[in-house]
Amino acid sequence: MFRSPTQVNPKGHLILLTAWVLVGLIPIAGLAVWSVLSMENFRLVWEPSLQAYRDVFSSGRWEVTVRTIRVAAIVTVLVSIFAFPFAYWMAKGTRSMATKTILLGLLTVPFFLSLSARTIIWRGLLGLNGPVNGLLLQLGVVSEPLDWLLFSEFAVVLGLIAPYFPTMVFPLYMAFSLIDDEVLDASRDLGASPLFTIVHVVLPLAIPGIGAGFVFTFIPMIGDPVVPTLLGGGNVVVLAESVQSLLRILNYTVAAALSVLMLILLIGFISTAAWLTKRFTGGHSNAIS
Amino acid sequence: MQSRKTGSAHWSEASIWKAVGPLSGLLALSWIYLPILWLIVMSVSAEPLSGFPGPFTSRHYAELFVQSGWVAPLMHSFWLAFAVALVSMICATMIGRAVPRLRRGGLPITAVVLLPLMVPGVVIGTAMFLYLRVFLGFKLGLWSLFAGHFVWAFPFSLLAVLVVSFRFDTRLLDAAADLGSGPWERFWRIEVPLLKDGIIAGGLFAFLLSFNEIARSIYLKGKVETLPVYLWQQASSHSSTVPLIFPLNVIILLASAVLVGVAFWLLFHGARHQESQR
Repeated sequence: MFRSPTQVNPKGHLILLTAWVLVGLIPIAGLAVWSVLSMENFRLVWEPSLQAYRDVFSSGRWEVTVRTIRVAAIVTVLVSIFAFPFAYWMAKGTRSMATKTILLGLLTVPFFLSLSARTIIWRGLLGLNGPVNGLLLQLGVVSEPLDWLLFSEFAVVLGLIAPYFPTMVFPLYMAFSLIDDEVLDASRDLGASPLFTIVHVVLPLAIPGIGAGFVFTFIPMIGDPVVPTLLGGGNVVVLAESVQSLLRILNYTVAAALSVLMLILLIGFISTAAWLTKRFTGGHSNAIS
Repeated sequence: MQSRKTGSAHWSEASIWKAVGPLSGLLALSWIYLPILWLIVMSVSAEPLSGFPGPFTSRHYAELFVQSGWVAPLMHSFWLAFAVALVSMICATMIGRAVPRLRRGGLPITAVVLLPLMVPGVVIGTAMFLYLRVFLGFKLGLWSLFAGHFVWAFPFSLLAVLVVSFRFDTRLLDAAADLGSGPWERFWRIEVPLLKDGIIAGGLFAFLLSFNEIARSIYLKGKVETLPVYLWQQASSHSSTVPLIFPLNVIILLASAVLVGVAFWLLFHGARHQESQR
């Protein structure tokens, strides 16, 4: 049989993709199964039970889930406040290719640097006897060192901003870049103010990028144990730590249930956001036509 | 060209945004880079944990030669990252060259590969631990770390290859076939050289992602210690070896930065080169 030279053999890819599903996706689906089994003598038993889900709510693990989501949500909002104008300026405000390349490079490099290394320095800076408290005391802002600077939710939020800023900027930048300059010109020629253009032209067109920015910032942050353990110091227990402690005491079903609940919450968030987006942008296109 | 100019004219009206944009970028980038610079300063300070720089000393760097607990984790991480990078490169090349050419199925395949990016690390780690260790009963070790890191790194490698392969002109393959070259020759002498930059960048990304991975490793490591997990555990503990992690992190930081620089140079310098040839 004749095969065009540009055709690719589907067999090899099928094998690869099957392996991918077996290694990557089946375990995730398995979580749902393990979470409704029961435990006996620290082993999984094939007996359906909802005990694990009851335990999640009775043992305070639920609060850990809520805290994890709260911290991640606060940081996501904070970084987006900085990322929006920055990404818009990079996409539409500067024409210099060199500036763009350097800025994008600067945003990428830290993504590959050790997170614990970049986080641990905050411990010295924010500690009771650290420079920040020293400065505040000297300036007379406070009369005694602030003890909530370190090992608190405040410290965790502070530490998470830097590592999760680039993940917000990239999708926003791409989305803003894809907007045609002529559309912006048209908006201005028709008498729209810059703010009106941003709200009614730029934002609706950039919705996919905004969504991607939130997903790529929010989701990895939920799985990140490094910053909360180093800067929360046991006061800010997040999902990753909680699950790890469950596995250490061989409580597999509750660990699975907790993961499943988080996944359900995330799927809920993402589909709600997608639905709202559809309505929002759908409404706009109607208004235009 | 014309539209670009008027575009920036439009911009200049919104002068508030023009000021706010660079300012917020500058603030955020300093927030990212000042800790990194501070880490370098503290690594040559006598008391890195105090938060105050100086008196300056290279003592902690010398200490690295005496306390060698970090060598075994470093070797594990290095070879692990090497294997993840190699396999990711090969797989990303296979899938990446095919996706732009598939009439149907390109999008679903990409979606399936990118799916794990939508799942937090802790959930994937737990899922793979329960599946491999508890359900299948395997003993965890380097191989399960490899599986976990591969699931994390491969999507990024694929994205790097796709950046290049979507620019690939398949007519070159038709021309080569017309001139009588076989499938393997077409692959090695036309596709590989043209996709090379994306493949290498994908490999470097995979290497670095694996080399710094923590969120999944803590569930999948069995008894094997990897460097980032070792450093993280040292950092969270209050032992006397803590100052050691400052110089060690600085060395790894600088090495990573060089690798990222090389990857970027290959990816974008190559792109500009190809563009100028057209």
